[in-house]
Amino acid sequence: MTQLLLFNAINGLIIGAFYVLMALGLSLILNLSGVINFAHGGFLVLGGYLAYALTPYVGFWGALLIAPLLTAGVGFVVERLMVRRVYGRDPLYGLLLTFGLAFILEDGTRSIWGAQGLPVSIPAVLARPLSSDFFFITGYRLFMVGTVAAAVFLLFALLRYTRVGIRIRAGTLDLDTVSALGINVRGLRSLNFAAGIFLAGLSGVLAGGQLGLEPTMGTGLLMPGFVAIIVGGVGSLPGTLLGGLLIGLASGVTAVFFPSASEAVIYILMAVVLMVRPHGLLGEEGLLT
Amino acid sequence: MNVLEIRNATKRFGSLVALRNVALSVPAGELRAIIGPNGAGKTTLFNLVSGFFAPSAGSVLFAGRDVTALAAHQRVALGMARTFQITEIFPELTVFENVRIAAEVAAGYRLRPRLGRSERAEVCRRVEQTLELAGLAAKAKRLAGELAHGDQRVAEIAMALALKPRLLLLDEPTAGMGEQETQEITRLIRRLRAAGELTIVLIEHDMRVVFHLADRITVLCYGELLAEGTPQEIAANEAVQEAYLGKAA
Amino acid sequence: MNSRAGAARQAGTALLWAALLLAPYWLPWVGGYTALGARVLVLGLAAMSLNFLLGFTGVVSFGHAAYFGLGAYGAGLTLKLLAHSTPLALFFGTLAGGIAGALLGALIVHLRGVYFAMVTIAFGQVFYYIAFRWNSLTGGDDGLRGFARQPLHFAGYAIDILNNGHAFYYFVLVCFAVTVGVMALILRSPLGRTMLAIRENERRARFLGIPVERHIWVAFTLSCFFTSLAGALYAMVNNFADPMGLHWSLSGDLVIMAVMGGMRSFWGPLVGAAVFVVVQDFLSSITTNWMSFVGLLIVLVVLFFPRGLLGLAQRRGEA
Repeated sequence: MTQLLLFNAINGLIIGAFYVLMALGLSLILNLSGVINFAHGGFLVLGGYLAYALTPYVGFWGALLIAPLLTAGVGFVVERLMVRRVYGRDPLYGLLLTFGLAFILEDGTRSIWGAQGLPVSIPAVLARPLSSDFFFITGYRLFMVGTVAAAVFLLFALLRYTRVGIRIRAGTLDLDTVSALGINVRGLRSLNFAAGIFLAGLSGVLAGGQLGLEPTMGTGLLMPGFVAIIVGGVGSLPGTLLGGLLIGLASGVTAVFFPSASEAVIYILMAVVLMVRPHGLLGEEGLLT
Repeated sequence: MNVLEIRNATKRFGSLVALRNVALSVPAGELRAIIGPNGAGKTTLFNLVSGFFAPSAGSVLFAGRDVTALAAHQRVALGMARTFQITEIFPELTVFENVRIAAEVAAGYRLRPRLGRSERAEVCRRVEQTLELAGLAAKAKRLAGELAHGDQRVAEIAMALALKPRLLLLDEPTAGMGEQETQEITRLIRRLRAAGELTIVLIEHDMRVVFHLADRITVLCYGELLAEGTPQEIAANEAVQEAYLGKAA
Repeated sequence: MNSRAGAARQAGTALLWAALLLAPYWLPWVGGYTALGARVLVLGLAAMSLNFLLGFTGVVSFGHAAYFGLGAYGAGLTLKLLAHSTPLALFFGTLAGGIAGALLGALIVHLRGVYFAMVTIAFGQVFYYIAFRWNSLTGGDDGLRGFARQPLHFAGYAIDILNNGHAFYYFVLVCFAVTVGVMALILRSPLGRTMLAIRENERRARFLGIPVERHIWVAFTLSCFFTSLAGALYAMVNNFADPMGLHWSLSGDLVIMAVMGGMRSFWGPLVGAAVFVVVQDFLSSITTNWMSFVGLLIVLVVLFFPRGLLGLAQRRGEA
């Protein structure tokens, strides 16, 4: 029983790490541009499939970096051509636009790579379990968590110490002032959008290694991303981090006692958080309201 | 009796103190003007009174009752109405509808999914009266957002009036207006005073308007009460002159 | 508004009712069928109910499929387990979604804008997972089957809405007309005007003495009741309720119907629903990539026709 609980708790945390990556990308875009990116799941899938297509040429490790970069490039173009045109409008339009894009992305990946699921091969070093006692902690899972941790660390460092990062954070707090200081807000938003999509692409590559690839896998991972943001508090990246880990843990632990509720439990958690702290665990009153 | 009484109100925003220990009493039927240089805390004071936010310390009394803990809509229900420095109306509704919404809230109909014939007629009569008083009757069918700036401000005052308030708070009613429009608003405010028991508190930058209308004047400066008195007293007050001249220099 | 625009609008409404009343007779001539008419009517009703919130209160809900689906499952389960009665199924279906909406609404009415929209999306999905997982009750992924709408009994007369497609269409039309009539009445009442006030200027509304949160809750709850009634009817169109009726993609479909038809117009969402359903039917019959085209259509509407079809017509009428 203890082992089962531990197994699922760790499993939950790994899934949580995954939600974090997804939610951080969503959160970046939401905070600076005020757009809820429904197409985030679509970009995730695109990243996964691009990695699949690139692996024969550049290997797993090359694909791990190049596929998210390419996905981010697509995101950059999409932002320039379409998404930026809904900034400042009713949030409805951003939602709808990315909703339409999600359709196109999902259908596009299906047309190119087929509706059947594809297995993704991972390097042999990562495929082995750590030890026989902890058979469920494969090297790949550790690697996933490690990659997520590195990405999160890098993101926070970039936001704190680079000029662009500081501008992004400032823009999140007060876009008008940043704009009045003569900073190119349009460029900043494009870059920020691409950064968010990079994280989506990276999630896709990592997810592919664990779950295999399917054109519809993005939508299933999108909702927990939203929940992570709401639980953590809109506007707060550390909140998103906390929220993602929490809901992953919650669904992992629930899977032990009441497996069929493992998806629903995160929504119950969200309801409880909204009742106790209407603006999320680390959210500030007034931001984005 | 005092319709409005503010007791030692302080409002802080972080480390900034927008209002410090301000006390104020406005007796029934008075027209009180609040003046002061920019950033003196005038609008902050209005926001405290109308329930936009709560004071950091101190209390607000309305007709003898402590309303500090009440929400904005509850204060309206007690008879407090306000306008804003930047016009707040319902732009895509007609002037008539704008005022009708206020009249229906005042009549206690806001949650009603239906009105009887006589109730509806009574509301319409009330709206027409208000529009007549405000001089907007001819523009009742126009969309509020399409009116000239001056008319929009008058429409906002008309909405406040349709609430049948005991206390009317006007935040710079002549802001951004030309000479003629300013005179019209001044005449309107004077008509309101003549019409009844209304107590009015007015924030205003245009000193001609202030000295023309006010019974008494309160001067705020850097969030503190600087002076209070009749227009003659304020005109002669050295501290006030200094505050204004200091700003001009 | 001038009297000519008013007359044009009245003529338009009359034409619309005529088209709806005669649909079973003209639909086959343009390659349609009566069941398609019923589907448009039901989805149109759902989109209009959503628009009660979206277009007339100015509050974005992107999770209305939840209430639609609850209505469908509520009606289906009533027919299957409780009573062989169409009116009772409608009643309990409507109640299921409406009550869920009232409860969730109370949790979220103090949130605004994007935050509100995101919470509605997330909450919308919880019922999808419940329906998906609770196999023994809901049939899980396969959907709920094994029930059928029942004939109506009126003072000794029986109307067979089960086997007679025309009769069923008119039954749906009556339900539609009554619900839409109630919506129109509310929108012209003091309550409806407070909703418009909140849409137009929340701050002004608050300082006119309207407790904004409470009124948004009322609008949200009403909207959920109406949507859920549409969902209950939907279960009867196919004698089937499936988890996709609860999925967020349906929420998005309802929003695009409202936007495409025109959010600021009362009938817009119905027109949007008709166009959307027909276009989707048509596209999926000619190409396997219909999803891309639907996605493209949505993108184009957002970028180039954000006021929608009737919004466009209105503009032209006023000019």
